[in-house]
Amino acid sequence: MSLIRYLVKRTVTYLLTLFIVITITFFLFRLIPANPIAAFVGQLEAQGRYAEAEKAQQVIEEYKKMFGLDKDLFTQYVSFLRELLRGNLGPSLIGFPTPAQNLILERLPWTIGLLGISTFIAWTIGMLLGCILGWKRDTTYDKILTSTALIFSQIPYYLMAILLVLIFVYYIRILPSGGAYSPQLTPGLYWEFVKSVIEHGTLPALSLILSTGASWLISTRFLAVTFLAEDYLHFAEAKGIKGSRIIKRYILRNALLPQVTGLSINLSFMLGGQIVLETIFSYPGIGYLFSIAIGLLDYNVINGVLLLIIFTALTANFILDILYPLIDPRVRYHE
Amino acid sequence: MNNHAAELISRLKYYLRPLSYNTKLKVGIGIFTAIIILGALEPFINKIRLGDRSPDEIGLGGPYEIPSLKFPLGTCPWGRDIFGMLLLGTRLTLTIGLLSGIVATVIAVLLGFISAYKGGITDHVLRSFIDAFLVIPTWPIFVIIAAYVKILGIIEISLLLALFSWGGAARIVRAQVLSLKEREFVNLAKISGLRDLEIILYEILPNFAPYIIVSFTNTVMGSIFAETGLRLIGLGPPLLPTLGYLLNLTMSGGFITVRPYVVAIVSAMLILIFLSLNLINIGLEEEFNPRLKKVTGL
Repeated sequence: MSLIRYLVKRTVTYLLTLFIVITITFFLFRLIPANPIAAFVGQLEAQGRYAEAEKAQQVIEEYKKMFGLDKDLFTQYVSFLRELLRGNLGPSLIGFPTPAQNLILERLPWTIGLLGISTFIAWTIGMLLGCILGWKRDTTYDKILTSTALIFSQIPYYLMAILLVLIFVYYIRILPSGGAYSPQLTPGLYWEFVKSVIEHGTLPALSLILSTGASWLISTRFLAVTFLAEDYLHFAEAKGIKGSRIIKRYILRNALLPQVTGLSINLSFMLGGQIVLETIFSYPGIGYLFSIAIGLLDYNVINGVLLLIIFTALTANFILDILYPLIDPRVRYHE
Repeated sequence: MNNHAAELISRLKYYLRPLSYNTKLKVGIGIFTAIIILGALEPFINKIRLGDRSPDEIGLGGPYEIPSLKFPLGTCPWGRDIFGMLLLGTRLTLTIGLLSGIVATVIAVLLGFISAYKGGITDHVLRSFIDAFLVIPTWPIFVIIAAYVKILGIIEISLLLALFSWGGAARIVRAQVLSLKEREFVNLAKISGLRDLEIILYEILPNFAPYIIVSFTNTVMGSIFAETGLRLIGLGPPLLPTLGYLLNLTMSGGFITVRPYVVAIVSAMLILIFLSLNLINIGLEEEFNPRLKKVTGL
């Protein structure tokens, strides 16, 4: 009974938060002094002075209708919500008249690939090393690796990216500075293209892995040291259980749960970070699309990427909240 | 009252003691103070070097001038003085960081405090609010606002940053107050009939000072992090040449190909700022958070 109540309550909260955030972002755009669409239409209007006034006005009216600007604010809001439910974000300006959602979907695989692979590597290495260093605490290895990781984790990922670019692009010239693959190649499944993709993805991935991997290491090591102070682990050690078994069965297992939570909490931060990272490397994901769209006042694309990021972060948290009590018996479904 | 004053002084001494033996605190505070002094001296240094002209003035020198006595880091493609801009950027970045850090800390302490101390429905509402703020990716929203509101000055951008960076600190404050509230000395104070305000001022707040400083350094870092990221992708108020702006400037227009080491120097200044603030944070945690004492093991 309490389980159902919990599920219903959590689902309602999730949907409500999503709705409120979507509403806030919708009105936010309209509150900003420089309304992007108004600016675009204004531009057209200014151009109209040099064209036949009547025809120009016709074009402007067309655009206004297309962006739904000819109605009052509330009607715009309702039609925005209705179209959103159909998965329609409206036309983009960057690739006019391609709908914004098509542009975003085209770019999405790059972001998922880059963020997914590097997060997986960083998280796995950070977890494993953190557990081992926690077990080997106060040895020379631990001191050297932990202090290195501590410094790396304090350097913002974008500064890490810039340092890597300086080293591998401008001093040791072995890696390309931007893009996702060599422009001479046509995308396809052949070795030369795959190699190009890997080469282009190495630096953005490495900057993420170095900075986030280091912070996973630090937090896992902290958890491991805390676990090792528990009585049952003293007992396990006293019984003479091998170190590798203790790390695998006791420390890693216990650290798994809080670190999976950490992953979902960090998701909103990581998605936001893609904007800067992809822009530095001109990597054709949704982050780069977002900053191009902002520069060109492309309202529908900006809104689409923003909604996608918000939706992903909120949904990941929602799923975790639902699953958490199933994985961890200590947590029960109640307030 | 006198009793309280004496107690506060002894507590202050207790807080200042780690400064004499904690290396991380010493190094962190040392570096950060040096950077602040450098930033504070910027107007004088640039006045002596350049007279009444601003270092970010276009055409101050020729384009791409190599480093010389007059321009120690050379000039940018538009003839602006990079060394002077580095000092100016440091001053602006620090000012924005400290200013928004203060505002964000005040918000975080107030909300965290009220939430934990009052409990009940107030806590429930405030906690949901804080949690929502942490889960929702606020940085892209900040980017959008900062990109379109063109009239942002130093005060406006700091306030905007503060508005977006208090969440994490509020959660820490709330957790700490919750644990402090249950300690016996607070119960004793309640039994002896002290009013809420007195308990907060004389019993909780003094025990709480290190956490406020940690919240402060955290929000300062968060604000500088957000501002630099924003400027790095070429957005934000064009009239505020902060370090992030300088980084964007030196990375674009082919400048990085000609003089990559200038980009390295600008990045190094930012890394020093982040590193020193973090050292202060870790040092404070080690000294005042018993759970973390020496847990970093360094």
